[in-house]
Amino acid sequence: MTVRSDAQRRKFLGLTGKAGLSTFVAQAVGVNLGVVTVATAQTGRRAVTPFRFAIISDPHLYSHVNHVFDQHLEDAVAQVNAMTTQPDFVLVTGDVSHHGEADQLAKGKRILSKLKAPLRVIPGEHDWYLDMGAAYRANFGSETWSFNLKGVHFIGLNSILVPDFWTAAKLTPAQRRDWFMPLNSPVPGVWGVHEQQLEWLRKDVARLSPDTPVVIFTHSPLWDYYPRWNFQVSDSREVRDILGKFVNVMAYHGHVHHTVYNKIGNLTSVGTMSTSWPWPYPPVELPYPEFQQFRADPSNTMDGMGTASVSMAADGGGFVQYEPFADSLQPAIKNGFKV
Amino acid sequence: MTPRKKMWLKIVAVPVSALFLLATVTQVTAREPFTPAELKAKDDMLLASVKRGFDLWYGGRADMANNGLACANCHPDAAATNPQTFPKFLPMFNKVVTYRSMVNWCIEMPQGGKALDANSDDMTALEAYSFYLHRGVPIETGLVTRQTSGPKPTNARGFATQGTGIGFDK
Repeated sequence: MTVRSDAQRRKFLGLTGKAGLSTFVAQAVGVNLGVVTVATAQTGRRAVTPFRFAIISDPHLYSHVNHVFDQHLEDAVAQVNAMTTQPDFVLVTGDVSHHGEADQLAKGKRILSKLKAPLRVIPGEHDWYLDMGAAYRANFGSETWSFNLKGVHFIGLNSILVPDFWTAAKLTPAQRRDWFMPLNSPVPGVWGVHEQQLEWLRKDVARLSPDTPVVIFTHSPLWDYYPRWNFQVSDSREVRDILGKFVNVMAYHGHVHHTVYNKIGNLTSVGTMSTSWPWPYPPVELPYPEFQQFRADPSNTMDGMGTASVSMAADGGGFVQYEPFADSLQPAIKNGFKV
Repeated sequence: MTPRKKMWLKIVAVPVSALFLLATVTQVTAREPFTPAELKAKDDMLLASVKRGFDLWYGGRADMANNGLACANCHPDAAATNPQTFPKFLPMFNKVVTYRSMVNWCIEMPQGGKALDANSDDMTALEAYSFYLHRGVPIETGLVTRQTSGPKPTNARGFATQGTGIGFDK
């Protein structure tokens, strides 16, 4: 069941392009799903052709028929499809499913296939640990990828890898998965991207010039937000070192289920609202508290959730617009912000 | 001293003095402080309730939901439950309610489950878990729309991992 006022419904149906976007509706040329197209890419800040991409986060689909989160994801898809200036692609930041079951991931693919724009997905821990990514890959392809689009280099990484603690303990797949269900589970080991992906990343960006705008997607944030809830990546320092040569790196992540912003050196980090439920802010001082969303009203089942869009400008900068399902944003971020 | 005053003393002053004497004796003969063993037994009973509350919070009772959701979906470490602000006014009730009423609202509405008996041990356990994590948090009136942070669960179950040293620049 969704609860939405008439005003909210009008906003929902009347979303318009923002942030000085070009009216050029791009073909998804260069978005070659599953294929790295570095060699043919345009790079360099002056080569950026303005465009937009959208972000959907953390659908957490259950196996139940007509589960409330199914409708939330349907709403998110409809919201993105209603954008006047269509995104060139849509990124899902992981946790498509809640238990990693094949039917949950297949349901996610079925709903997300209604998007008009091409789809990109990275995994979350809920997608992964039942079958170590088998159902995820069957539905969404590789978990590590990059591509170039209109002068911007995009990277997707699997940031939820932990050392093997299940083999010695002789855990079943379901037991292994269940360790990851609670946000504060005592999982032995902090999530990271690990050496194989780090090596891939080194090679991926080796030939890019420093003035290439880079956008990186991970499930969890590339900074120490709140380790107790795994709001971090264990080897984010290595990721940052590899990307340190670039003038401007934009990082977008899910997992936290709320709006959050941080900037460290050349890397700006933006967290996104989920489509499933909002998570409270952890007991830490935030560097930019004005980016906090309002506390969700539990009597409004759509409050505190939504999607986001990012408009890439000709100078290589981005403009983020959260697209909440209800009136969830502080004035400081309600009309979008530059990154 | 007039006869009337003497009578007044007999009626009032003597019983009052006796009460003071009784109070003094009672204080002297009051029970010794709990022994460490007694204290541990009492704490163990509380912590058993907290543990039961933790299990319920994370989906340990099937009839509390019909859609797979649990308290912890929205409230890890009981964050943003703010039990110390109850009783308080909540719009969905249109009146001032107790924390137990709010717990049952969450069980029935977002979780689609069956409300608990407000006086049951399981409800007490949910309350014990949530309040246990909020020890030391000032009691104050809660504002419905104000964003809040979770408690610092230094003694709660769960892990505390080490950071990478990458915080923020500001």
